[in-house]
Amino acid sequence: MDVFTSFYGLIPVTIAQSLIVAFVVLGVMLPFRILNFPDLTSEGAFPLGGCVCGTLIAGGVNPFLACFVALICGFIAGCSTAFIHLRFKINTLLAGILVMTMLYSINLRIMGRTNIPLFTYDTVFTLLAGALANLPWVKILIVGILILLVVAAMLYFFMSEKGTSMRAVGASPDMAEAQGINVGTATIIGVGAASALSATGGSIMVQTQGFADVNMGFGILINGLAALIIGEAITGRQTILRQVLAPVVGSLVYYQLISFCLTLGLAPADLKFATGAFVLLMLALPNLRKSGGGFAVREKVRE
Amino acid sequence: MTKNMLSVTGGTKIFYRGTQDERRALDGLNVNLAPADFCIVIGSNGAGKSSFLNAVSGKLPLDSGRISIDGQDVTRLNAHRRAQFIARVFQDPMIGTAPTMTIGENMLLAELRGKRRGFSFGLTSARRARYSEQLAELNLGLEKRLDMPVGLLSGGQRQSLSLVMAVSTQPKLLLLDEHTAALDPRTAKLVMDTTVRAVEELKLTTLMVTHNMEHAINYGNRIVMMDAGKVLVEIGPEEKRGITVSDLIDRFHTKSDAIALQGN
Repeated sequence: MDVFTSFYGLIPVTIAQSLIVAFVVLGVMLPFRILNFPDLTSEGAFPLGGCVCGTLIAGGVNPFLACFVALICGFIAGCSTAFIHLRFKINTLLAGILVMTMLYSINLRIMGRTNIPLFTYDTVFTLLAGALANLPWVKILIVGILILLVVAAMLYFFMSEKGTSMRAVGASPDMAEAQGINVGTATIIGVGAASALSATGGSIMVQTQGFADVNMGFGILINGLAALIIGEAITGRQTILRQVLAPVVGSLVYYQLISFCLTLGLAPADLKFATGAFVLLMLALPNLRKSGGGFAVREKVRE
Repeated sequence: MTKNMLSVTGGTKIFYRGTQDERRALDGLNVNLAPADFCIVIGSNGAGKSSFLNAVSGKLPLDSGRISIDGQDVTRLNAHRRAQFIARVFQDPMIGTAPTMTIGENMLLAELRGKRRGFSFGLTSARRARYSEQLAELNLGLEKRLDMPVGLLSGGQRQSLSLVMAVSTQPKLLLLDEHTAALDPRTAKLVMDTTVRAVEELKLTTLMVTHNMEHAINYGNRIVMMDAGKVLVEIGPEEKRGITVSDLIDRFHTKSDAIALQGN
């Protein structure tokens, strides 16, 4: 029973972590599912948010303001990816890789070094909860409320007139254009907003872990994708409510699974392989079920 | 002289200009439509019918020439800006609607065509009631399925929905791009009947591309026959009454032979 007690003990910490990563999962979901724009910018936007926020906090800036600036920086990063794709007709994935790679240098330049410790500075958590800030349940409460607000706002937006037209851009760009929707603008704003979410996740992460690191969040995108897929398997995708809830549910379940596997004895070194294999399996499953050999028809996404 | 609802003057579009593959999709095209004209566009493959429609909708920017709608020059407007004047039904039922979105949401998108979209809630109960009413006229039962994703509908149902979406907002110009070509004959007839009823009732200025000679004879008050990016034959309202398929084919051949004789 030793395994279970140690897993049980980790549950609150894991929940806190998964709620933070839920921002990134929302940021993965939005371009991928709503805009039909497979986007990798999150992998760079997450550390960008962390580095910007960490540098500002270490420089004495109010942590709330630091988070907001991180959000804006993420937004700009996402807009750049979408712009590169739209203006130069570069494949969405390649555009994302380009931006993500360039962001690594930018992150280093912003911090001026690879790591900034933040233990001695005020964070949004110490400002809100004082001495209780380090309790996992306090973090869960604060981040939980925040993510709830974000989900509610996204849900409302996607049911509003503007949000409906953004969804149309992903569902059928030709139709959207014929209805007078500016496909380019909607794509840029949507992908930008997604990276803003990822960057916000990064900015909260550095404040809970107590340091900003240029290598933080390596592989976060695949984690996010895995969480999204699990979430969608649980909630489904039939309505916009389910689609928006999927990232949060998926993140909560996914990180508990990971934590469980680790306590069972999975070597941390194997974690990325296991995650990758899982995502591959889930993506391949629909085509495995189909009878007949040959190559599966390519999934219809923008290039 | 009456004011034109649509006027295309000297519309020219050349693909691969200056290369061996140079192709004149539109070559000095001139078309004028009066308000409430229902114009059928026919011509063989590659005659420029689709290019014509795409040029009007703004999807294909002209190299030279002018396009104006209801007296307003739209030559330089993007497709999404022109959408305020134009509603379009595509040939492919998959393109004209957003398949993963519900019938109600698709109706909402169409209602706001070319209008400012705000942050207010989209599918209000007032709108739902109005959409149900509009869809009930189709007699397809769609009015009871506002929350069903459009992707679950048959091709005919989707084209009918596209049509309602297009006409319900009183566009200045309705573009129909072989919108019944992908349907089985019975459904095609149904969609065509709905089209004619809507166009006549609402007095919509309409451009309809078709390959179907019967459609060209039976519907509309004008025929434009295209060849090599130009208008080869234009048949006006007086002449169109009582015209037959063989008349049409004769006119086409006489004209193209005449051109051939001139060594053009």
